[in-house]
Amino acid sequence: MPFECSLPTLHRTLLSGLVLLFAAGIFVPSASAADKLTIYSGRGERLIKPVLDAFTANTGIQVELLSSGTTELVNRLKAEGDRTSADLLITNDAGSLELARTAGLLRPLNMREVERAIPAQFRAPDNAWVGLSGRFWIVVYNSTMVKSDQVKSLLDLADPKWKDKIAIPNSGSEYLQAGVSVIRATYGEEKTKQFLQGLKTNADGQVYQKSSQIVDAVAKGQVALGIVNHYYVYRHLATQPNAPIAVLMPDQQEGGMGAIMNVAGVGIVKSTKHLDSAKLLVEFLVAQAGQKLFADLDKEYPLHPDVKADPALVERKSFRAALVPLTKLAELREPTLTLIEQVGLR
Amino acid sequence: MSTIRQQLASPLQLLALATAGIILLPLGYVTAQALSADPAVWSRLWSTRIPELLFNTVSLAASVAVITLVLGVSTAWLVTRVEFPGRRLWEGALVLPLAMPTYVLAYVYSYLLGFGGPVEHFWQLVAGPQARIFSPHSYWGATLVMALDTFPFVYLLSRSALLSMNVSFEEVARASGASRLSTLWRVTLPLMRPSIAAGVALVILYVVSDFGAVSLLRYQTLTYAVFQQMTGRSDNTAASILSLLLVGLALIFLITERWFRQRSRFYQTTGRYRAPQRHRYGWLGTLAVTGYLGLIVGAAFALPASLLIQWSLSPEAQATLDNRFFGFVWNSGILAASAATGGVLIGLPLAYLASRRPTMLNLGCLQAAYAGYVLPGPVAALAVLVLFTKLAPIFYGSVLILIVAYVIHFLPAGLQSLEPALQQITPNLEEVARTLGLGMRATWRRVTLPLVRNGFVVAWVLMFLQTMKELPATLLLRPVGFDTLAIRVWMEASEEYFQLAAPAALLIVLLSLPALALLVSKDWRAA
Repeated sequence: MPFECSLPTLHRTLLSGLVLLFAAGIFVPSASAADKLTIYSGRGERLIKPVLDAFTANTGIQVELLSSGTTELVNRLKAEGDRTSADLLITNDAGSLELARTAGLLRPLNMREVERAIPAQFRAPDNAWVGLSGRFWIVVYNSTMVKSDQVKSLLDLADPKWKDKIAIPNSGSEYLQAGVSVIRATYGEEKTKQFLQGLKTNADGQVYQKSSQIVDAVAKGQVALGIVNHYYVYRHLATQPNAPIAVLMPDQQEGGMGAIMNVAGVGIVKSTKHLDSAKLLVEFLVAQAGQKLFADLDKEYPLHPDVKADPALVERKSFRAALVPLTKLAELREPTLTLIEQVGLR
Repeated sequence: MSTIRQQLASPLQLLALATAGIILLPLGYVTAQALSADPAVWSRLWSTRIPELLFNTVSLAASVAVITLVLGVSTAWLVTRVEFPGRRLWEGALVLPLAMPTYVLAYVYSYLLGFGGPVEHFWQLVAGPQARIFSPHSYWGATLVMALDTFPFVYLLSRSALLSMNVSFEEVARASGASRLSTLWRVTLPLMRPSIAAGVALVILYVVSDFGAVSLLRYQTLTYAVFQQMTGRSDNTAASILSLLLVGLALIFLITERWFRQRSRFYQTTGRYRAPQRHRYGWLGTLAVTGYLGLIVGAAFALPASLLIQWSLSPEAQATLDNRFFGFVWNSGILAASAATGGVLIGLPLAYLASRRPTMLNLGCLQAAYAGYVLPGPVAALAVLVLFTKLAPIFYGSVLILIVAYVIHFLPAGLQSLEPALQQITPNLEEVARTLGLGMRATWRRVTLPLVRNGFVVAWVLMFLQTMKELPATLLLRPVGFDTLAIRVWMEASEEYFQLAAPAALLIVLLSLPALALLVSKDWRAA
């Protein structure tokens, strides 16, 4: 009798155990995110986590990070609406932040600390997003294969002589989209199209998902040149000082458009339930100490006027930036994407 | 009696209908979205991306099919028709590559064959300092990785065909004067054709829906393009269009596979089975066979696995083994367990009804559940995403949405074990239990359930394993703080931090091994 009973009981226990497990899987996470700051980050985890860890160490506020693609995260915020668990959005591109702002996803900020630390051209008019660090879209070249005077402008990379010698990011990259937007705004549709077609032919098999891979390919001599954000080059040099790579600041010639600048930035999500902590984080990021972390760890150009960039970088005063304002990157995005698709960049 | 049954069956029926609906709805939504897209988007995609993507996808599938065909059939023939030392060992070892997810193999090979990598160094010693080998980030690289990873499908099916084949056919051919080679060519291979075709179709289905390897090797296929569209664009129209094409393509191969599988039934010969006479090779033959098998197993499993171990032991990798890492292990475990459990719970009524009350409706529900086969990871993610944002946005960003995507995606794998398990018990057993006075529930618990338990376990393990390795849907749908082992491998590997990716990759491989053993042992018969 006891044996007969035990089998069904075992099954019942097992089955209900499974059902419980199933239910647990669904409900566990919503409980755990109660009093942490949740950050959607479109920046590489490697680049932002040390800075956030420093914030946690300073304030004791825990941070939960979801690292993914910037556009993907903006899509996600839109879809989640007010129910999102995100408190802040960090991205690698001002255009995406501006798009998020115009979609009403971000919260305008009235913070003296922000206005004092970050110059007005690097934030939204209502401070719904704030730039944190500057980056330039530059040409990285292998110094054993290319001389620094062989390329003057990004547009030179479309020249057939660089066939199979250049590496570029894929068309989903927000840097590339922002860069092409600036080129379009400067030179117009037709010239940009020709440039992209040349780029596509020249970089045929060398379209990368990650900028660090492009730098790596240039350093190994797999390709001669690549287009990346400047800090990937300096981060590579920081670990491998003898790598034969160098930065070429493009479009500095007389009448040239200037180097294409973008900023990584942060915005507080409109529906946040942790406004005070979120503001503390923004304050930490724009303050001198936070800005210095971006300068030292990530080799970016700090936006705070009193914080100096890493001395290894090309001095900021020595080159011109393109004149297209960051907020315009948002409205330029859609036609740029259409053009990129027409050309058929990967 | 039968009226009671009918009454009791109807809630089950409703459940089955609801399940089929939930599974088909996302597919319907994606289709609708793609078909209602602005014709301008369609024509733009046709004139730019689609020809390239279709060509890349189909040509990759074709080359992988040819290579797996050769590798799979030749290895199966060797272990079943030739006697050489260590044959039993090789017989099992040839299955091992199935434990290696494609993205792990892809990242190991992008290191091995990469520019300035070890293989190139070696080649330069032989052929001079300027010599280059083919890049792994190319058509050939993707072909190599996918073929090494998937040939065991063909091997397994060919092997069981060779084992169950009536050897008299071959003996008659030999007795009538046909040479060994012409017997193989004119008798054995034609008899194996349905199994080979089913294996190859399975391989093609796998290649077409793979995301991990092609994304790491930067080879543009439809599946990869869907993912890129979803992550790089703010609307999903283009992604839906590409998804629809992909579903169409996968459907073609699925139907092919089904068709060959059904045909293979005609060949089953019953009775008079006798083990085939194995040809014994001399030392030279043994050396050649061992070398050949060693090369395949080495390239597809032993070498990658030993690299993973070596990398995992490096100080950089050891430093990542902190609490965070165990969090990833926990996440992988809980997600996979939930999805597997959900899959079994959902698949059960479908399989039960289809085997007990095979009406058109019930069979239709079951077939609907197989839709997951033609929904590659990114498409399943897109479908679930679109559905949830339209119908139940409250769940967006929760674990539920991810689990639904997993269940839809992997239910077919589970059903393939649940279905036969339920079919093999006759209704008589239940009826006997009922006449002996057991209630409906007690019968289920004490008769049906114990009989189908093994099928359940296999289905559960299979779905657990697939979920644990799953990449694209997890990337797209994971909630905050829910990175899994697979995600970590992909994130580190895509920035070429090979050492840092290794511990998670190794763990996935190790966890896959017992599950693989369980699955293979189900109908394994040593040759």
